[in-house]
Amino acid sequence: MSDGEEKNKIRIEHSIAAGDYLKAGGASNDIKETLKMIGIPPNITRRAAIIAYEAEMNLVIHGGGGNIAANIDDKQIEIVTTDHGPGIPDVALALQEGYTTANDNARSMGFGAGMGLPNIKRNSDVFNIDSEVGKGTTLKAAIDITK
Amino acid sequence: MPHSIVISHTACRGCTNCLKSCPTEAIRVINGSITILNELCIDCGECLRVCGRSALCLDDDDWETIHVHGSVNALPDPTFFAQFGSFFYPDNARELLVHHGINIIIDDMENAFDLSAYATARVIEDTPREHLPLISVYCPSVVSLIQLEYPELISRLLPTENPIDICADMWRKKTQSYAPLTLFTPCPSKVTLVRDPTEKRPSTIQHIVSIQKVVHALRAAGIKAPTDDSADEAIKRRFAGWAMIGGESRHISRFGRRHFTTLSVSGLRNTMDLLRQIELGLLQGVDFVECRTCDFGCFGGVAVLESRFLSHVKNRNIVSGWKLPEGIEERLEPIYNDTKIWKRSSPIPAKQRLPLSDDLSIAVAKMKRMEAIYGDMPHIDCGACGRPSCRALAEDVVREQGDMSDCIFKLREGIASLAGQIVRLAEHQPKPTQKNI
Repeated sequence: MSDGEEKNKIRIEHSIAAGDYLKAGGASNDIKETLKMIGIPPNITRRAAIIAYEAEMNLVIHGGGGNIAANIDDKQIEIVTTDHGPGIPDVALALQEGYTTANDNARSMGFGAGMGLPNIKRNSDVFNIDSEVGKGTTLKAAIDITK
Repeated sequence: MPHSIVISHTACRGCTNCLKSCPTEAIRVINGSITILNELCIDCGECLRVCGRSALCLDDDDWETIHVHGSVNALPDPTFFAQFGSFFYPDNARELLVHHGINIIIDDMENAFDLSAYATARVIEDTPREHLPLISVYCPSVVSLIQLEYPELISRLLPTENPIDICADMWRKKTQSYAPLTLFTPCPSKVTLVRDPTEKRPSTIQHIVSIQKVVHALRAAGIKAPTDDSADEAIKRRFAGWAMIGGESRHISRFGRRHFTTLSVSGLRNTMDLLRQIELGLLQGVDFVECRTCDFGCFGGVAVLESRFLSHVKNRNIVSGWKLPEGIEERLEPIYNDTKIWKRSSPIPAKQRLPLSDDLSIAVAKMKRMEAIYGDMPHIDCGACGRPSCRALAEDVVREQGDMSDCIFKLREGIASLAGQIVRLAEHQPKPTQKNI
């Protein structure tokens, strides 16, 4: 992408630690606050906040930590997470509601109900997941704000 | 949102204690003088608690002036009865206060709170599970907080008017009286509830006085609660339970035709965390949520007199063991069917923070500039610039309501570089020309 495009783009980036349930939610809150500040309508902000939160929790619970970034311009909000965790063997299965591989520790805190990925997909206009077992996962979810 | 806090500019010393107490960052202290940003204030009263110089006060009416005219028709907030001795039952209080020219309206309070609880139970039962939990509208600060910070949750707010307003309307309808009504309030948010008609139908309450002032005057006039426990004969009023956290939920659950799962939380931190969790859809299986921004519910309000800890104990004496009378549902059903008595006439609007610009691409550009300015700041949120955080100053700078040199660290850097320049200029000598050699 060229420098000209960069000018009108905001990028928010956070690195997320594995298993840090206490701080979880901070990155998605930051993204939400930024969207409110630039005047994104509430229903879109809400969808973006859910995507960011679920994606952030996936890094905490499954991904062994990683990075979450939001790229915002006047056309779309794109949320990208990358991790170098175990990867997802069967993406189609992971996208089914209620399917989970979360450990007992996560589940005991009310996380890992198998709704994360389906929730992200439901709230995004563009959804793409790229995963390789043993290498990690990259997730991209975008919302069109011109609609 | 016009707020109900008055600022005494003579008492304000320009310290920044209040800055950080504000949950919505609505306060600025510029040039030693405090301003509250109307559009951000939710009337929670936190700033009043931390101001050591009483520069911030509740904007209520003068009790002496209201009382001097003789008979006062008063709506006692549910917190009122725990402000005296241990067994100040509402019905005994009414008898005692009549001799002081105060007619406290408790039958209509009971009816209005019953109606509100009954209507809420019906609304919960009629709401599809995926749209639950619904959120109480009893604490006006919570409603304002949702309008401002969690606009996505507006659809979760109960469609009912505040029971205090319902009570005023019911009393007027019953008595056909236009006599002034006075509300005794435990907090600034209920002052705004009465005075700000832009949010809802106009309130029919005219005066509003802090419980602190009223109770102070009454105690001085020798009003005391009976010392003996006459609990056996005493009527336990249901509405008085709403002063305690969980009281509203208990009242509503009693009218439920199925079991309700309710959650009651108090304090700003808990309220904000809870709202955020609802927003993220984490509270599935909960039917109703009762939030109060003050710790210990309304007993923690800034305008009450009695200790919030002790009033809890006292209120338990006054309300515990209340019962629903026989046939109450049959009595409430026809009033409930007349929805204009209890239902909110217009939807609650969202109050978005003023965006950086109406044009999204300009807003994005300003946001980028704001991030750059913020990145260059000390990030210690000291408050010396009069803003609650470095980020707030960065925001004010891009909104052209502040300058980078408002930050004393940036000012010092500026002075240092200026001083360096002065030294360089002072040491500067004209170069000798070739001819003079």
